[in-house]
Amino acid sequence: MSSVVYLVDDDPAVLRSLSRVLAEEGFDPRSFASGEAFLEHADSLRGGCLVLDMTMPGMSGLEVQRWMEQAGIVIPVVFLTGHGDIPTTVRAMKAGASNFLTKPVTAAALVEAVRGALAEGQALQGAANELAEFARRFESLTLREREVLAGLVAGKLNKQIAVDLGIVEQTVKFHRARIMERMQARTVAELMHITARLPASLLSSAAPRSP
Amino acid sequence: MPPMGRCYYSRASLELDRYGNGRRFIERLVSSASTLMLPGPARFAALVAAVALLGGGMPAAGAPRDPANVLVVFSNNRLLPANVEVDRGLNDPANPSLRTVRLFSEFLDAPAFGGDRHEATTASYFRDKYAARQPAVIVAGGSIALDFVLRYRAHMFPEAPIVHVGVDRAWLSSSKAALSPDVAGWPIDYDFAGTLALAAKLHPAADGLTVVTGSTTWDRERERDVRLVVARAWPAVPVTYLSGLAHEEVLARLSALTPAHVVLTPGYFADALGRITAPREAVAAMAAVSGAPIYSPFSSQIGSGIVGGRMTSYVEMGRAARAIVDRILAGVAPASLARESPMPSHDQVDWRQVRRWDIPPERVPLDALVHFREPSLWEMHRTQVMIALVIVLIQSGLIAALLVERRQRRRTAAALAHSERQLSLAAEAARLSAFNWHIDNAGVPNSESQRGGDALADVLASVHPGDRLRVAAAVREAAGERGFELEYRTVDAERRVRWFSARGRLARGPGGRELTGVRTDITSRKEAELQAEADRVALRRLSRISTMGQLSAAIAHQLNQPLAAILGNAETVRKMLGRTGASSEEMREIIDDIITEDKRAAEVIRRVGDLYRRGDVEFAALDVNELVRETLEILRTELVMRHVTPVLALANDLPAVSGNRVQLQQLFLNLLLNAADAMSRTAMEARTIDVQTDLDPRGVKVSVIDRGVGIEGAALARVFDAFWTTKEHGLGVGLAICKAIADAHHGSLTADNNAAGGATFRLVLPIAEARREGADVERCLPG
Repeated sequence: MSSVVYLVDDDPAVLRSLSRVLAEEGFDPRSFASGEAFLEHADSLRGGCLVLDMTMPGMSGLEVQRWMEQAGIVIPVVFLTGHGDIPTTVRAMKAGASNFLTKPVTAAALVEAVRGALAEGQALQGAANELAEFARRFESLTLREREVLAGLVAGKLNKQIAVDLGIVEQTVKFHRARIMERMQARTVAELMHITARLPASLLSSAAPRSP
Repeated sequence: MPPMGRCYYSRASLELDRYGNGRRFIERLVSSASTLMLPGPARFAALVAAVALLGGGMPAAGAPRDPANVLVVFSNNRLLPANVEVDRGLNDPANPSLRTVRLFSEFLDAPAFGGDRHEATTASYFRDKYAARQPAVIVAGGSIALDFVLRYRAHMFPEAPIVHVGVDRAWLSSSKAALSPDVAGWPIDYDFAGTLALAAKLHPAADGLTVVTGSTTWDRERERDVRLVVARAWPAVPVTYLSGLAHEEVLARLSALTPAHVVLTPGYFADALGRITAPREAVAAMAAVSGAPIYSPFSSQIGSGIVGGRMTSYVEMGRAARAIVDRILAGVAPASLARESPMPSHDQVDWRQVRRWDIPPERVPLDALVHFREPSLWEMHRTQVMIALVIVLIQSGLIAALLVERRQRRRTAAALAHSERQLSLAAEAARLSAFNWHIDNAGVPNSESQRGGDALADVLASVHPGDRLRVAAAVREAAGERGFELEYRTVDAERRVRWFSARGRLARGPGGRELTGVRTDITSRKEAELQAEADRVALRRLSRISTMGQLSAAIAHQLNQPLAAILGNAETVRKMLGRTGASSEEMREIIDDIITEDKRAAEVIRRVGDLYRRGDVEFAALDVNELVRETLEILRTELVMRHVTPVLALANDLPAVSGNRVQLQQLFLNLLLNAADAMSRTAMEARTIDVQTDLDPRGVKVSVIDRGVGIEGAALARVFDAFWTTKEHGLGVGLAICKAIADAHHGSLTADNNAAGGATFRLVLPIAEARREGADVERCLPG
């Protein structure tokens, strides 16, 4: 199944031309004549990437990007502009643009940018999926296990953790084994990697109601 | 000539004549010699000699009648002023053409000499002396002389009638003289009453009157005269009589008087000591010391120091006597000539004395004879003075006129020189020169017209080929009695072009019609104008380019849109060609798109390129709506980038306007950008520009209405000024150029604030007229 590429440009001739280029390259282009028209469909987006004209009547390209960010819609954006000035480019890239193309754009450049964006989109999707798995695993830990994990992440020895928590060293060892099992980590290094990916908010969040 | 009571004879009249005038001296000499010493022939010779000696002054020998001899006998001394004056009167005949009279004067010298013996001797002497010249008439001067003549006439010249002069009426009435038929004369009065009246008039506040008389009989008679009249003539005044005093005492008494006093004296012939004097000398001595003014009734005393009196002139007495003598000589009987009434007397005053005694001049009677008034030339020589004055006046007038004329001429000359200097300066500064073109002499100018000017053909030859027809046409029109006013160019041999502004008038000269006038070299002005216009054009163009620079991002976008479409389409087609199964139908569609987009790109370039190009001079009939749309097309992306939305309300069926496309586009561009600039702080959704076109009475109206900040009241007046701006980065030329473009199109551009906020700019362009387009092409210089 071909990847979906959303095209937004106020100029119908440009829209038609770019759409033809992408279709010829095997993509699945979906054209929109304005930012507003595109955003109406934004909720149903799944994958793909967005080729967005910067200068349009009504919402500009940057405004569409900002709107999507606020709405939590994650999709790689390739900006198109008739005249790439530096301040606009910097603003677009800072806002997380995947690429920035100046019209007229060759088919090769456009396809490359779209491929890159799609790859980025897939990577983003994968990372998001992995993080969700890690979070699910962390949330399966009891309160005591989370306290022990925090000690481990801080680099403390079992004995130290036992003193801190007021328990015996043997119990610490027991919890540790359970943590490795629940977090699906073969080594402590792998445990450290997974834990580092977790958002800090999750780590410091309150323990589950029932251990 | 107051007579004396006693008579004395003159000892020798010849001796006394030493002081007499030359004529009388010689008369005496001749008559004495002829009478006493020489025989007949010698007498005649002496007479001839005397006549020759006297020249024309004597009546010529052989006159129709012999002169009549008249013997004048005076009572007193020869030098007595009264005698001198009477003598003058006697020598002044009323009618000089009457028979010539020869006057001989003798003096009895009373009162110094007298007595019967002396009188008898004198009478004999007169008889012998005048034996050869029998007097036809005897004139007796004064009562003493009259008395002597009456008594001795029979002894001397029994035939001669007697004419008396200066004898007072009182004396005559008491003597037998008046009864004698051959005695005639006009008596006089010693007018003491009149003299007192004059004194009273001149000294109304006098505190006293002193009357001075001498000790002779005559003197006492005068005192009597005064006493008779004083009470009536001057009633109130206290009178003191000084009679018969010694000379010194009189003087002492008089010197003690004050000016408030008045002295009346006829003078006197002798004082208490018997010292003889003349009344005038006595009065003069008194006047020299008197503390009070002196009055006298004797005219001979005028000048001796008296103030005046009422008196009869001795000269007049002499004239009256002469008149009687002339009548008697003419054959009139003496008795019929005797007169009863006295000679009239007049108030006479010595002006010097009037002044000396501070007598107010207005008190002096108007009819008084005034002596010794400042010797006024006017009074003395009225006619001569008048003539001299007139001459002087005429001369002065002439001189003044000449001076004035000279001054005026000088002034005129100076003004002329000044004016010429100014004119030449002005002409030099203005590069003015006069010209005189001969219209009718197409060929070689004839000798007469050569004096100044050029033939029209020569003039036209020097005119720039491009202006030749215009100049010729202007000359033709001027020939139709209209003025000539034109700017034209000339080209000289070195192909240098000069501009001239000429104005002139048609005149008929000797060689036919001439066009006379002045022309100014306006080359530098023209060059400056052209330079200024070039500068303006360059500024407009720079401003356009600067505007386009601002729009470069938008224009690049506008150009890149079709390019992007073309590139994508072209690459798609190429790819499709490389694979099998591509639909040729689809490919044609794509290629059609490429062509369309290519045209679109070319259109953008055309639109923008127009604004960059220089040298657009064309004025044409333009559709305002189309211009507005096209301008908005150029600005489309720019307005998008600024989130400004144009809202069009364009009237249909608008007439075309005459204008230059690029300039009007620049105007709209500036107005629209200005509107967009004004709204940079307006909320995005409110950023609209209303662009409206309407038909206006003056033409087609374009309104550009923004929702911006508006224009502050003070700025409203300056909004079209060059280099005036409220923008941080603005040059302030945009709206000034708009205004200049509107003016060049005979249009108007105004700015106003909207009630609802923001500003409106209104442009009105006149509707195109076929005739005006040509004129506008001329006006609009390459830009």
